[in-house]
Amino acid sequence: MARKKARSGNTFLLLALLPAVLILGGFILLFFWGFYQSLTDMRFGRTRVDFEGLGNYARLFSRGRFWDSVSATAIYAFSAVACEAILGLAIAKLFNTRALLAKWFRPAILLPLVLPPLSVALMWTTMMNPETGVLNYFLSFIGIDNFTWTSKAETAMFAVVFIDVWTFTPFFALIIFAGLRGIAPDIVEGARMNGAKAWGIFWRIELPMVLPYILLASLFRLIDSLNQFDIIFGTTQGGPGNATDVLSVSAYFTAFQNLYFGRGAAIMIVNWLIVLISAIVVVKLWQFTRKRVS
Amino acid sequence: MRLTSRLVVSTAVVALMGSVAYAEEFDWRKFEGTEITWAYDIHPYADAVVAYLDEFEELTGIKVNAELYPDDTYWGKLNIQLSTGSPDWDVVGTGIQPAWDVTPAGQLAPLRGLINDPSMTNPDYDYADFFPALTRAWTWDVAEEKIIDTPDGEIWGIPHAFENMQLMYRMDILDRLDVAPPSTLPELTAACEKITAADPNITPMAVRGVRFWSSIHTAPISIAQSYGVSDFVGSGDDLDTALDGAESIRFHKDYVAMIQACAPDSWANDNWYQVVDGLSTGKTAMAVDANMFGFWNNIKGASDASGQIAFAPPLTAPDNDEFASNIWIWSLAINAASEKKGAAWYFMQWATSKEMNVRGATDGKLVNPPRASAWDSQEWIDYANQPEFNNFYETFNTVQEKTSLLFTPRYGFGTAINAWAVAMQDMVGGADVEERLAELAEEIRDELN
Repeated sequence: MARKKARSGNTFLLLALLPAVLILGGFILLFFWGFYQSLTDMRFGRTRVDFEGLGNYARLFSRGRFWDSVSATAIYAFSAVACEAILGLAIAKLFNTRALLAKWFRPAILLPLVLPPLSVALMWTTMMNPETGVLNYFLSFIGIDNFTWTSKAETAMFAVVFIDVWTFTPFFALIIFAGLRGIAPDIVEGARMNGAKAWGIFWRIELPMVLPYILLASLFRLIDSLNQFDIIFGTTQGGPGNATDVLSVSAYFTAFQNLYFGRGAAIMIVNWLIVLISAIVVVKLWQFTRKRVS
Repeated sequence: MRLTSRLVVSTAVVALMGSVAYAEEFDWRKFEGTEITWAYDIHPYADAVVAYLDEFEELTGIKVNAELYPDDTYWGKLNIQLSTGSPDWDVVGTGIQPAWDVTPAGQLAPLRGLINDPSMTNPDYDYADFFPALTRAWTWDVAEEKIIDTPDGEIWGIPHAFENMQLMYRMDILDRLDVAPPSTLPELTAACEKITAADPNITPMAVRGVRFWSSIHTAPISIAQSYGVSDFVGSGDDLDTALDGAESIRFHKDYVAMIQACAPDSWANDNWYQVVDGLSTGKTAMAVDANMFGFWNNIKGASDASGQIAFAPPLTAPDNDEFASNIWIWSLAINAASEKKGAAWYFMQWATSKEMNVRGATDGKLVNPPRASAWDSQEWIDYANQPEFNNFYETFNTVQEKTSLLFTPRYGFGTAINAWAVAMQDMVGGADVEERLAELAEEIRDELN
């Protein structure tokens, strides 16, 4: 009787897990299909598909433009995440006070996060127009005329990172704020009673204790920024020239504009590897900081 | 006098009887009860057909489901539908350049057999009535990954309406600033400098600058032709690029200088809608783009620019009077996977008929109509020569003589031309023209091999 009960319990468990297993299996299958594509010369509008081995990868690695894309991807993702972490920490600190400003800003800060990235891109494209955009109107008050934003290679990367920072800093702020709220008040109070100044409390107590939260947010954001497509394609399409031609945009261009699906898949696999390595490094750092805090 | 009137009336009656007889011979109801899907871009060209769909359904008994999508979405969906062999869409709207990529794999149905079959094509259809440059551009044969450009080849699409590239300018602005419409590229650069000096709030000139082939297909390819430059030289296995040649270097130096002197700072992000917006709002004095944008903005009440946009042929090299104008042809084609090709063809021949051409054009939507007879019809002549359209009609006739598809027909056409657009952005951004063109040519040759 007990065995029968246990068996029916196992069956229920298996059935409950089945959808998750199927979905996971689907993801893995699609990933391997993409990897297989990257080993072929698959092109849109062609019936024959030949296996090329690592030919697409060899071709990629031998081209300067590919390495420019790798560099653009790294600059975009790492500078955006670094700025977001610093600003997010500052905003979280503000939220953790009883200032009136904090009370007002707490609900408003969610706004950029709920906007679709492509809408964000379109909104900023209009505002960043060198001639008609509102940003240059404001900049003219401080003596900056005709800042070129997304229109010139020299400023385009700054402009797209700026948009990313505006959109995703709230994500950091919310997570770090949760970390700051999690610090037991008696630890801070004890330090204060022992004569610690505000800066010392922040530097020696709060920052080490929220560092795992910062790294956790960095992990999510780094994965997202290394794959960022909407913001960049919606503003510069990877230009001017190849100034913001990050790997995801380059893959899109290769697969859907130039119709080389195999080569496009190879670029995405390289992008995936970069994401994977970056994520592993951040996870290791997170584990290390957590150990130190606990 | 009476005799003449009688003669005219009797001729008209005979002609009418003739057409009735033809109509009786041609069985429009052959596919009665069939339901087809027609997919197209959200566009005035689609509106021109949708307005009369009821009449087609009444004439043929064929039900047409029109699926219209925004431009950005449409092309992606079309690629997916065709490449997956889905029979869901029977008739599709497309252009020649995208068709070069899908016909070698047999994703569009050949049409020559249908056109030549009297049981399938209304004798009044008159395929030869389309401008020869348009029908020629839709004719080629295919081999594995190859387009074989031959006038006797297969026909893959029927022109629905088309754009030719012209210089459009705001008469009010040029008059106010005392600037004459330029005819050569250096003249344009000089005119821009004069406009900027006279009124810095006016953008002298707008052209597309985005890093896709659509930027090349308007001004650059049209003007380059006058400098003796085309996208490719040679043919077949000897196909090569001459974009690093002396003529090309000369053209690009002039073109880059023009963009730097004339175009807004946002040029690299500008697509057709920014170009048109500048012209219609009066922010921009001149533009080289598809002529129908000027036409549509000239329609009474359509924009503040109504009646102010005039037309001229595309610019030329300083030592050559011969201009050239590239085309984009919105066309109808049949999905090779369609299971209702007969009904699909009926819909296509109705939508591209002489009557629909004139109706669409005089509704102010199907501009430019692709049939020569439409341009000779008094209805369209009267409509297009209304004062608000300025010199639209006569400029069209001048330009059309030198209008053709200026790109070399190729499978994978986009790769080289997209690279050209990226190189153009680099050169306008300050890259050395000769060096960047050499790099571009190397990239294209690498792709050719």
